[in-house]
Amino acid sequence: MQIRVKCECGESSCREWAIVELQGVVEAQPAFQDRIQDLEIGVLCRSSSQEKYTFTVGYHELSGSKVAIKKPLLVLKKKKLSDSEGLLGSSSNSSKIELEVIGIIRHRILFKTRPRALISRSEPQIKEKVNKASPSVQ
Amino acid sequence: MGRGDGGDEMWRGGAEAVLDLQPNSSISITYDTFFGAPSDLLLLELDDKLLPQILQNRVTIRGEPDEEAVLCTPAGTYALKYVGTSNSVFLIPPSGPSSNVSDPSPVKVASVIKLAPGVMELVEVAPRLDKLKELLAENPYRPEEDSMEELEEKDGLRRLRWEDLVERVQASDEELKDALKDNSAVEINGYWRIVDEKYMDMVLNMLLHNLVLNEWSLEGFEEDQVLGIMGSDGFPLKIVLHCLEVYGRRVNLNDELSGKMKMERFMEAWMDKIPAGMSAGFEMLEGEVLVENIGVETWIWAFSVSSLPSTPAERFAALFQARQKWEWKDLQPYIRDLRVPGLSSESLLLKYTRRTQPTMDAEPVFSAR
Repeated sequence: MQIRVKCECGESSCREWAIVELQGVVEAQPAFQDRIQDLEIGVLCRSSSQEKYTFTVGYHELSGSKVAIKKPLLVLKKKKLSDSEGLLGSSSNSSKIELEVIGIIRHRILFKTRPRALISRSEPQIKEKVNKASPSVQ
Repeated sequence: MGRGDGGDEMWRGGAEAVLDLQPNSSISITYDTFFGAPSDLLLLELDDKLLPQILQNRVTIRGEPDEEAVLCTPAGTYALKYVGTSNSVFLIPPSGPSSNVSDPSPVKVASVIKLAPGVMELVEVAPRLDKLKELLAENPYRPEEDSMEELEEKDGLRRLRWEDLVERVQASDEELKDALKDNSAVEINGYWRIVDEKYMDMVLNMLLHNLVLNEWSLEGFEEDQVLGIMGSDGFPLKIVLHCLEVYGRRVNLNDELSGKMKMERFMEAWMDKIPAGMSAGFEMLEGEVLVENIGVETWIWAFSVSSLPSTPAERFAALFQARQKWEWKDLQPYIRDLRVPGLSSESLLLKYTRRTQPTMDAEPVFSAR
C-alpha cells in the first residue's frame, strides 16, 4: 500500500508550530487528573536578557532557552479518505490513508535543567496563575 | 479565539505568541480543550534538502502492513525509524486564521494539543527489491500468450501495472524503473513482465537466423527491417524490440554506420570518384583510413593522421584509443611524421609502446605502455 504525504500549504506558507519541552513529566493534582482540559500547565516568561526563558509550573521554576532545531520537524496528520473521495479504479476496499502536512517546527523552548523550588508564594509568576490547580513537575 | 476553521482543527493555538514572546513578558501555557482527544498527529524529522520534495507533494510512504514502512522521494528510499523521548514535549499549534482579526489584544494563552511521545526519523536505505523479483517471476510471459486476446485474464495470476508495483515494492520511482531494467522486465499491454527465458532464447535464435538469411551484419542492422521479418514470422513486435533492447545496443545510423563502410563498397565508390584514366591503389590511403576485419567482412573507416595530435605522447594516446593493438604496417604511417630531436623512431616506440611478438617469425604487435 501507498500513503501519500500531502501538503497543501506550499513552501512559503507552511505554518509554524511551537514546542515547549522539559525533562520529566508534569502531573496534575489527583483531583484534576481526569479533566486536565483547559487547565493551566504553567507560565512561560521571557526575561529581559535575550534568549533566557523561565517556565513556572506550580511551585517549581525551570530555566531554559529558545533553540533552533537542526532538522525541521513536520507535523503530519493522519487522514482517512472515505470511498467517495475519488478512489476511481482502486479495487481495494480498505479505506485509504493520507498524511497531510499541517505544520512545521523549527524552534523549541527547551528546559534542560532540574526544576528549582520556589519558596515564596509572592513570586510574580505564581500570582499570575489563573487556575489554582497547582500542577507540579516530578 | 481561532476556532471553527473547519474540520476538526478547533484548537486555540498560540504558537506565534510563544515563538514571538517579547523580553519581559509572559504567556500562560494551558492544556487545550481538545487535549487528549485522538488527533492522529505525527512528527517527522527531516533534512532541509528533503523539505522541498515534501512541500511539492512528491513523497509517499510505501510498504504493506507486515513490512517496515519506508518513505520514498522520486529518487531515494528512507527507512522510517520511531525515536521515543522521555521528555515532555508540549505541542502548540498556530492559532486559527480567523483569530486576532477581531481581537487585537496580544494573546495571553497558548494551548497544548498533544504531548509528543517521539518523532519519526529518516535513514536513507537501499531500495527493497527482492520482492520485485519474486513478483515478476510469478508470471513470466510465455509464447502461448502471443496468440491470446489482449484482455484475456489468466486466473489467479497477479497482473502488475506500474500502480501495483509502487503499492507493493519499497523503492522510489527511479529506483523501481532502474530495477525493472536490471531485471530485463518489459511493459506488455500495460503490465510489467519478464519474458520466459526459453522464449527469449528462441526469439534471439530466430533473430540471428534472420540476420544470416538476409545477409545483414550482426554489427549493425536496421531495426525496422528486422522487425518486419520477425513480425511476419509471427513474433509480437513488443517482444522482438525487448530482445533487441536486452541483447543489442542502439547505434545512431548517421555517425557509426556511415563512418564504417564495407571494403568492397568503399572501393567501388572510390573508383567511381576518380577521373577516368587515373589509377588508384589502396597504398595511397596510408595514414588516411583504418581497415578492420569483422568476421568474414572487411570494414574501412576514415582515420586521418592529419587529425591527430602532433606531440608524441598525445599522438600515441589517440592511436591506442582508436585501436588497442597495432601491427607495424598499420602503425608506421601514423608515426612516421613524428620528429623528436635526439630520439629515433625506435626509441619513440620504446618509450610509448609495448612490443609483443608471440613467435620469432610473427609480426610484432604494439600496445599501450
